[in-house]
Amino acid sequence: MAIRSLAQKTGDSRTSTRKPRQNFETWSWYFMRISGLVLFFLALFHFFIMHILNDVTATNVTFVATRWKNPIWRLLDWLLLALGLLHGSNGLRFIMDDYIRKPAKRVVVKSVVYGIAIIMFIYGTLTIVTFKG
Amino acid sequence: MSPKSATIYKGKTGQWAFVLHRITGFLVFMFILLHVVDISTINSPHVYDAIHRLYGNVFLRLFEVGLLFGLTYHALNGLRVIMIDFFPGAIKNEKQLFYFMFSLSLLLTVIGGVIILRPFFTGSTH
Ligand code: HEM
Repeated sequence: MAIRSLAQKTGDSRTSTRKPRQNFETWSWYFMRISGLVLFFLALFHFFIMHILNDVTATNVTFVATRWKNPIWRLLDWLLLALGLLHGSNGLRFIMDDYIRKPAKRVVVKSVVYGIAIIMFIYGTLTIVTFKG
Repeated sequence: MSPKSATIYKGKTGQWAFVLHRITGFLVFMFILLHVVDISTINSPHVYDAIHRLYGNVFLRLFEVGLLFGLTYHALNGLRVIMIDFFPGAIKNEKQLFYFMFSLSLLLTVIGGVIILRPFFTGSTH
């Protein structure tokens, strides 16, 4: 990924004879870096609170109910869900493009992976939004 | 460069950094899927609390430490990739940066691991 994108940015003639232009891959390249930076704080902060400051066995229903009384925590947890799934499925897209060579198989596997990601996004969002406490 | 030496690319630090980044990214993604399901049981408090007691089991605590390593390595190496992409000077220190980020993720995993596994050693859990 990095190499292809660098070639796009610099118009490296060995890999690209066309002039660099803004396309989906350029956008995706920036997205991985920006979402990565946001996730750096969101994910590590989340792990620190839920697994280091508190023991896993202490993060029970009462714990979550208290936390989710504050909409900011619901929003942060939802952001982690949304960005994690988007960044992760885009990352999985690179992996699938690299290792699945047969076009038909690639379409099938990608559809399954994207389908699972979308279902998990909806399912997770419902959990965060509908919890009454 | 002959085609052979151009295509055979073996084990320089950058490649190991990439392979580990890919594996940890994949595994953390798999964990998110599992995590969405376990949190969704929150509306059945008994199930949710039973699952979280189960997470206190020593094997699942070890799994938690594994997740800590996967996450810290991916996060820190991701930062290294971003630095190399945006700061022209960083590529010169790419190797040292890898050793630094890798060691830092190991260090954080060991410190976090001691905290996560402590209840098991002090016998305050099963
Ligand atoms: C915690 C902060 C994170 C940072 C700083 C980060 C950074 C990055 C960056 C910069 C890339 C692109 C690498 C490239 O283009 O060569 C990437 C790829 C990837 N990330 Fe993350 N990421 C983070 C969290 C996550 C999480 C939570 C997941 C899983 C849900 C994830 C899954 C992936 C996957 C599967 C790839 C593709 C790997 C590949 O192409 O080999 N990342 N990450």
